[in-house]
Parts: sequence; C-alpha cells; structure tokens
Amino acid sequence: MEPEVVSSEMALPAVLPFKRVQMSDKYPKGQSRGRHWKHLKQILQAENFPENEPNYLSIESPPSMYPSKKFCDVTGFKAPYVDPRTNLRYASPDVLKCIRVLPNEYVQRYLSLRNAAIVLK
Amino acid sequence: MPSINRPLRQSDYNRFSSATPIVIDNGGSNFRIGWAGESDPRVIFRSTVQRPRHRATGETVTIVGDHDTALMKYFDCTRSSSRSPFDSNVVYQFETMEYVLDYGFERLGAQGMEVDHPILMTECPCNPVSSRSKMAELLFEAYGVPSIAFGVDAAFSYKFNQQLGICDEDGLVVCSGLTTSHVFPFVNGEPVFDACCRTNIGGYHVTDYLKQLLSLKYPQHLSNITWEKAEDMKMEHCYVAYDYGSELELFQKRTKEAEEKTRCWQLPWVPPPQEEAPTEEELARKAALKEKQGQRLRDMAAAKKSGRILELENELQGLEDLLQELDEMEEHEMPSFLSGTAYSSRLEIESAVQKVAQSLRKVRGDPSDSEERVDISSAEKYPLTGIPDEMLTPDQLKEKKRQMFIKTMSEGRSRAKQKRVEEELLKEKQNLQDEERRSENPELYLETLRAKHKELTEKVEQRKRLKTNGSKTNGTQNLNGSGGRGERLNAAQRERMRLLTTAAFDRGKGEDTFGARDEDWQLYKLMSKDNDDDEDEEDEAELVRVTSRLQDIDPTFIAALQPPSFLQPARATPPTAEDFQIVLGVERFRCPEILFQPPMVGIDQAGLDEMVGISFRRLDFVDDATKDRISNSILVTGGSLLFPGLVPRLEAGVRMIRPYLSPLKVVRASDPILDAWRGAAAYAAASQFSTQTFSREDYYERGEDWPRGYHIKYAL
Repeated sequence: MEPEVVSSEMALPAVLPFKRVQMSDKYPKGQSRGRHWKHLKQILQAENFPENEPNYLSIESPPSMYPSKKFCDVTGFKAPYVDPRTNLRYASPDVLKCIRVLPNEYVQRYLSLRNAAIVLK
Repeated sequence: MPSINRPLRQSDYNRFSSATPIVIDNGGSNFRIGWAGESDPRVIFRSTVQRPRHRATGETVTIVGDHDTALMKYFDCTRSSSRSPFDSNVVYQFETMEYVLDYGFERLGAQGMEVDHPILMTECPCNPVSSRSKMAELLFEAYGVPSIAFGVDAAFSYKFNQQLGICDEDGLVVCSGLTTSHVFPFVNGEPVFDACCRTNIGGYHVTDYLKQLLSLKYPQHLSNITWEKAEDMKMEHCYVAYDYGSELELFQKRTKEAEEKTRCWQLPWVPPPQEEAPTEEELARKAALKEKQGQRLRDMAAAKKSGRILELENELQGLEDLLQELDEMEEHEMPSFLSGTAYSSRLEIESAVQKVAQSLRKVRGDPSDSEERVDISSAEKYPLTGIPDEMLTPDQLKEKKRQMFIKTMSEGRSRAKQKRVEEELLKEKQNLQDEERRSENPELYLETLRAKHKELTEKVEQRKRLKTNGSKTNGTQNLNGSGGRGERLNAAQRERMRLLTTAAFDRGKGEDTFGARDEDWQLYKLMSKDNDDDEDEEDEAELVRVTSRLQDIDPTFIAALQPPSFLQPARATPPTAEDFQIVLGVERFRCPEILFQPPMVGIDQAGLDEMVGISFRRLDFVDDATKDRISNSILVTGGSLLFPGLVPRLEAGVRMIRPYLSPLKVVRASDPILDAWRGAAAYAAASQFSTQTFSREDYYERGEDWPRGYHIKYAL
C-alpha cells in the first residue's frame, strides 16, 4: 500500500486483537455473501408484537388531518392550477409555458419529488 | 457537517477500569463513542462503510466513515458503494454494523483480548426486538462485552437538558434525526412510549429535496450539485418560515425583502479571454494583404485573357492563311489540299473564321455587335418572313419557319425589356411622389405609411394563416379522425372539394367517363392553381416596399417578422458569471418546510406540529393539569431541527392545537446534536447504572428472546 494511505489510517485493520471472532473468519473470503439480512419491512413482518405495548408500527403518525396544500412543482408557490397533460401543479401561466416545453423525463422527476410519478413495475 | 478529518486513535484506553462503561450514540448519520462521565464523545464519524479494492495489491479494504477523497485514486470503487447499517432508523445490516463498531472501538484505542467494558448504546424508540437482540448478540459474541444497556437517544437528550434546567420533569421531546422524527412525552421523568409518534421524515429528506430541486433547476450544473454540497447549503442557508404562505407570497411578488433573503452561490468560473479589438495597424495590414491577393488574382485573370487572345489570333491568322492559299490554288487542287486540313470546304473554313473572330471579340471585351445586328431592320434579317409561302421552295419554307421563330423570340424579349424599363420609371415616379408627400408633412406621411404597413401585414398574415393553418388543422383533424364534411376546411380546400364533386357527378349517368375528353384534365390545373396567387404576390411585394421604406426613414421601426417567442433557447452571447450562479430563493425555506408538511414530498403523515397534537391525544390517561405541565416544557432536539425559525414556528403550530390560554413553552436543547450522547454518558456514570444493564450470563441463560420485556428506567 502507498505510504500516504497507510499514514492516513483510512483502512480498517484486517485483524483486531480485541475481537473474539475476526471478520475474516466470520465471513470467509470466496464464500457467497448473499443477502443474509432482512430489510426493515421484513423484520417488522416477522416480529410478533404483544398487544398492550407500543411497538414500531403502532407509534407511526397517522396521515395529516388537514387537507394537504397544493404547491407549484416548479416554483414552489401556491398552485391554483393543474396541467392536465403532465399532472404538474403550477402557479401561473408563465410556469405553464415552462412546463409545456419540459421533456418528459423532467416532468417525471418533478412528479417523483412528491411521489406522484408513474412507476412502471 | 461531515468532517474529512479522520478521528485519531485514542491512547488512554488502559487508564479506564473495566467497570467504566463505554457510551455509544448509534445515530443514523453519525456514530459517537466515548467514556461514561465525560463531557464529550471521544470519536465521531459518519456511519457509512465502503469496501473498495486496492488497485495495486487487489485486496479488499474496509473504509469506515468519511475519508480524504484525494486518496481514493488508489482504490477501485466501481464494485462497492457506500453502505449504511440502517434501514430507516433501525439497524438491519449487522455485517456493516460490525465494521462500524470495529472502527469505533479501534479508534477508542481498545486493547486486550476483548472489549471488557459495559456498554450503553442508543436505539430508536420501540426498536424491533430482532434488531435489538442481534445487536446484543454481536456485542456479546464478537467483542465479549460483559453487559449492555439500550436506551432511546431523544430520552437521554431530554434527561440531560432536564439536568441543565432547560426542561422539566413532565414534558415533551420533539426529535428529528436523519430519516425519522419522533415526538413523545415524559410523565414523572419517564418517557411514555404509548404516546410516541413517529413520522418518517428527517434531515435526509430535506437534503435530498434540496439537491433534487437544484439539479432540476440547474441541469447544466449537475456535477456541482453533490450530496455534500447540498448538505452544506442546507445547514448554512435553510430556515423555517414562520408563516409559509405569506413567505411564499413575499417571494412571488419579488419584494425587496425577498431579494435580500435570496442567496447566491457562485460556481467556479473563469471568464473567457477577452478578444482585443484589432488595432489600426493590423487592419491596414490585413487590408493590404487582401488587396495584394486581389491584385494577384486580377493579374492572373489578365494573363489568362491575353494568352487566350493570342491563341485565338493565331488561329484566325492560320485560317486566313488557309483561305489565301485556297484563293491562289487551282480548282482541281482544292480537294487534295483540303483533305490535308480538318475542313471539307471553303464555306466551312469561312464559318470557322467567323466563329473564331466572334470569340475573339468576346474575349477582348468588345461591345458585342449582336444587339446592333438585332437593330438591323427585321426585313433584312429575316428576309423570308415577308414572302408568301407559295413562292418558296420546301427548303426555303423550312428556313422561313426558323426565321419566324427567332423573330418572335427576339420581339418578345424586347417587349419584356421595354416593360421593365417602364416599370422602373413608374417606381421612380412613385418614389418621387412619396418624397414630395413626405417633405410636405413628414409626420402624416409616416403615419399613413405605418397604417399601410400594418394593414398589409395583417392581410398577408391572414392569407398565410388561411393557407397554412388550414391545411395544418386539417392534418390534425385527420389524425384525430374527426375530419368534418368540409365545414372546417379553408377556402382552397373547399374549392378543391367542389371541383372534385362536380367532376364526379356532373356528367355521371351511371358510368365513369372522366378522362374521355381532353377538357377533363384541365380540372387538375384548376385544382392545383391558387386562385388569389397574383393578388397575394402583389400584396407581398407592396409590403416589402413599405417595410423597406419605413426602415429607411423611421428609426423606431422594427419589422415584427417573427413573433417574440420565449422558446428561443439559442443564445449567442458567451456565458457570463450569472450563468454559473446557483440561486437559492424559495428553496431556502421550501426544503425545511417538509418537516411540517410531509405531503409536499409525498409522505402522507402528520408534520411536526401536528405530531405534538397526536402525542397529546394518545396521552389520554393523564389529567389536564399534567398536560399543561407537559406543554410548558417542549424540548426540540436532533440534528435536523437546527434550522433558524423552527422553534417559533413549532410554537405557533402547537398553540393552534392546544386549548386556549394553556401554557406553552418550546425550547431548543443546549446542543441538539451532542446532547443525546452527553445524556447517555451522564446516565452511564450514575451509580445505579449497573442495575439497568443486561449481562452476558443473562444472555446465555435466557437466549435471544430476553430483550422483549427489557426497558431501562431513565429516572435514576
């Protein structure tokens, strides 16, 4: 290794004396390191929560009671209008002119900002 | 802010007895580790792991936390990305977690065969049991830790601030981390997780929103808008608006206040070298060079011309000599002599002479006498045209036909010429009249000219629209499949349709006879003809004349040939410093606003202020007096709640939810980022800490199901 890399101590040492099981023994080289972990969703599905205690799912906030306000997707101002062609919300006719010339990719990116884009699965 | 400085390895590990707990704040963004009882964590680094391949040796190395990007040139990062052990706020990748812990202990200076210290580690509220037990397993099995305690970071932060006297025994904590925000109350110094409330939005979303907005706004500077830069800008410039709607209006109306609030980030930009205007000397030099080149070309042309003249003269001389020789020759010698030349008769030679002489004249640039020849009376030139056919031989008849053709052609030409001359005269006269009128009353003249221009423009435009637009709309109509029955067609198309129908029906008694007669085919000529073409052309010519006239005499006149279109992206001007600026206007408060209005980024959950209300609602078993006490001690903590203006905004939001005149106090933690670790360190230093831990023996005895009923008591 290059001296500057060594001196920066950026790499984690392969063998750490204070460990009972070294990483290299736990995850031997060459063995498939497939997915041996679960995503949070799977963890929560596997969990059996007791009835009378708060749990990870029960403490989640409900949707807002107030109607969500509509803001212009491009400028962020209050948006009284929706463009039926792109489904983008817009604040003024000038913005409409802008969004009418936006390529579809950008329209979808603007929509995905508020999770409204078309997702093909 | 992610620091590039790598934490130093601590050297005083052996100074601490094995009874001193190690305190770890295992946060979503930063991992903090230190000793119980101390005021600050020893080591802080970002909780990410990267496993690139070293280029020279080919071995995989593990890099935890941030690092000097300049050193990354020695590593091949193509197959490894930066990984975090967290999914949302729950640890799920324990391999990555192990690397993070390895690094944490290593930096703390751990020595010996195992980490022989009790550990207090933070976790999220209501951490799933499997995640907690896996963490315990990792700590017990891999590091040989004697005992562990788990606690909630926000609760430690609250307890720490309670010790500082910032908040009371009964209160409420509002905490926002990297990916989640929590609100939960404290009653009698203990957190009540039954009333806890979590919204899955945090600092990550704010930074991501800012980055996405900026990269959509400035697609040309995409490479400059990195995650780190967005994070920096968020921390430096973002703020929470007290009233989001009115703040937006401020910016929408482009008030002065908004202008002052706008921040500008100038990207590194080097102006292109200025081109100096050429000096007079240079100009003169260039002109001389040009002149020289022109002269050379002219000389070349002249030389070529003289060469050609010489050549032609020689040819002419030769031919004349030939003729002379022929003159001197006897009749019978001629055929044998001529066979030696390229000519077969004297006549041919003479015509050749004529041809050569003519081209010689042409080359010399003599005024061609062909015109003069036209002027020779036609009777002389076309002698046969005047004689009746009966008196001519067939040969002469042929010749007469030819002469007639040439005559009509030349006459037509001269007529056209005359017409042109007349037109020019007329134009001149008109111009003269115009000039007169102008000198009489310049303003009135200009006015009339303008009016005329306008009228003509409209006329031409309308006709054009009728012609082009009509066909265009027809095209789309066809596409839509809603082509009408002629009612939406323009004039030309209507005419065409009429002609077609008459062609089909006027004579049709059963069978189709179209094309039987020659006149039928005239129909197509009619159809393709544009009826008002002539008129159109006239108008257009007149428009051009008026426009040019206006341009001449009216300095303010601009021919509006093309409608001003904002779509014209073509910009010939060179880029200026302004093109390399990233302007933060609305974004400054638009991005943090998602903490209060998560639906803005498509997360359909309650915002911070509403969460407080939900938490109060879930706290249904306490009396109103306690609730008042709670609302009088609301603590704001967590790295994502550092924005200026957040506390007053939250206070205003909560005031709307709480009953009228109920006490309300919202305070910010003394240090929203480090207080959780400090609280935990103080907690671990307390004498009763050992009663709250869970030992390795317990773990081996009860298995991994032990954490199910495990809760520490925060009030010791």
